[in-house]
Amino acid sequence: MSARQSGFGGQLRAVFRKEVLDALRDRRSLMSALLYPILMPLMITVVFGAVARLQGSERPLEVPIVGQDRAPNLVAWLEERGVVIQDPPADPDAAVRDGDVDLVLVIDEDYGEQFRSVEPAVVRIVHDSSRTASLSSIRRTRNLLRGYSSEVGLLRLLARGVSPGVMQAVRVDDLDLATPAQTAARFFSMLPMFLILGSFIGGLNVAIDTTAGERERQSLEPLLVNPVSRSALTAGKWLTTTVFSLASAWLTLAAFVFMMRFVPLEDLEMQLSLGGQQLLLMAVACGPMALFASSLQMFVATFARSFKEAQTYVNLLIFVPMIPGMVAQVYPLQPAMWMMLVPALSHQLLLIDVMGGEPVTALNLALSAVATTALGAAFFGMTARMLRQERIVFGRG
Amino acid sequence: MIEVRNLERRFGEVVAVDGVSFTAADGRITGLLGPNGAGKTTTLRTLYGLLRPDAGAATIDGIDAVAEPLAVQRRIGVLPDAHGLYVRLTVREHLRYVGELHGLDGDAIASSIERLVARLDMGEIIDRRVEGFSTGERMKVAVGRALVHDPPNLLLDEPTRGLDVMSTRAMRDLIRQLRADGKCVLFSSHVMQEVSALCDEIVIVARGRAVAHGTPDELCQRAGEDDLEEAFVRIIGSDEGLQ
Repeated sequence: MSARQSGFGGQLRAVFRKEVLDALRDRRSLMSALLYPILMPLMITVVFGAVARLQGSERPLEVPIVGQDRAPNLVAWLEERGVVIQDPPADPDAAVRDGDVDLVLVIDEDYGEQFRSVEPAVVRIVHDSSRTASLSSIRRTRNLLRGYSSEVGLLRLLARGVSPGVMQAVRVDDLDLATPAQTAARFFSMLPMFLILGSFIGGLNVAIDTTAGERERQSLEPLLVNPVSRSALTAGKWLTTTVFSLASAWLTLAAFVFMMRFVPLEDLEMQLSLGGQQLLLMAVACGPMALFASSLQMFVATFARSFKEAQTYVNLLIFVPMIPGMVAQVYPLQPAMWMMLVPALSHQLLLIDVMGGEPVTALNLALSAVATTALGAAFFGMTARMLRQERIVFGRG
Repeated sequence: MIEVRNLERRFGEVVAVDGVSFTAADGRITGLLGPNGAGKTTTLRTLYGLLRPDAGAATIDGIDAVAEPLAVQRRIGVLPDAHGLYVRLTVREHLRYVGELHGLDGDAIASSIERLVARLDMGEIIDRRVEGFSTGERMKVAVGRALVHDPPNLLLDEPTRGLDVMSTRAMRDLIRQLRADGKCVLFSSHVMQEVSALCDEIVIVARGRAVAHGTPDELCQRAGEDDLEEAFVRIIGSDEGLQ
């Protein structure tokens, strides 16, 4: 029985099948592919959920007032604006210090007289600025009092025939051009980073196990004594890693979409609608990214002297694709053509645009996909070439 | 048939193989005998196409191992120096993988595995994952890997290393069977008993050179000793004396 000439395709299939089987039985490989996509969105959901709850919890402002009868107009005005007026504690200072109340408003004894003689009438906010929990109440009370003050002031000017505009040298108008969708996209500009991270983490263990692991377990030499081309061998391992990487990225996306349903986005005044087309675009954009991440990781892991060294390098590598995401958080990137040629960076930009409902040009998509895949192919070629080198196959001392 | 001509290979300053020549014929068992570090593994690795020699030639069935490693690899079964297994795969999955890499179809692989299960007595372990296998069981898998595609030439690097008495006997029987099948069997060992019990031809290697070549009887005659071990020591020792 003599062996048939085995073609590239058959060998690739054999390697792919063996590596997928091996990886599926490896708890560590499965964990890195599955755990991350579930944990990351979960974390985000919990954080955003907490933020939304905090912002949505505008409880009615409760203000204990000392000397309510000295300023009935003010008290009525406050009540009109939803403030719950409370009777003051016996010892206001102690009550504030002990944290029983957020603040106590004290109407000065001379308030009435001062008010009538058009002098600044004094009210005092007794508070403890070191207590963060009461800061919001203090800020709201202060704003209300300021509002009452300027309202009365304006009325007084009008009564004296002076235009209220005299009091206002500069008027500040806020014109926020961000559409709600853009605001949401800014908040969720983290999702692209998580997708890119997902493609780097999903295949990480497979990339190491099929290269540095193969050598460390002394199974590389028995493998290479078979008449298998180094390209077919590397391609089979590359494909396996890519499958895990892509699965992880897609799971991240799916988990994200699923969990976002539990975040009260309305409370954040955001709208995030990811339509089917957008989701599809995002999923497709992950493809070249997974190819690139896998071949880069395999290249680095093959080059490493040992399994441990490979783990160190490949884990450090995760931080590289995070850089564009980090930068985008602080300094919104203005997309330029050259950026489409940089893996991870181009994906960051494209994904943000897709999420923000901005049109994405086919040219940019193609540029990013081609550049990323080409770089991945380059690393693939270098890995296959390394497997022909004795010092790589038998290890370096 | 395996031929090695004036093979030379150095690693940096160290000369691992320094002009080794020998021939291993079909239907015969040829043993590479020599102390550790004599250059046996380097010679074998050159033959199965993973090391490039600095000079000389290594051919199998007339095919140059350096120029056409894949063509050579189709005609050999190898038990390499390192024979690590995939702990999460079963024995059958190991054998199937090798069969597929050699381009065998499913039926050919299945019948080959059936044959190996009988020959290597692997009925109980064939569908078990190899994690936790004993040395003997692991060796069976490694040898099975070398035989799946039924190659005409076999290169076995220390096939009895670490085996207990029973496993060693089984390995010897297997090697004799392979000879009976008409295969060219080349194996390396540093164990005298191994080589004397099995070999038709012995190539004694020391310090990168093939210092003697012949049947056990011829070697004894040449050294003027009745015992092969004495002959071995004398041949190696005289070599030392020459330097």
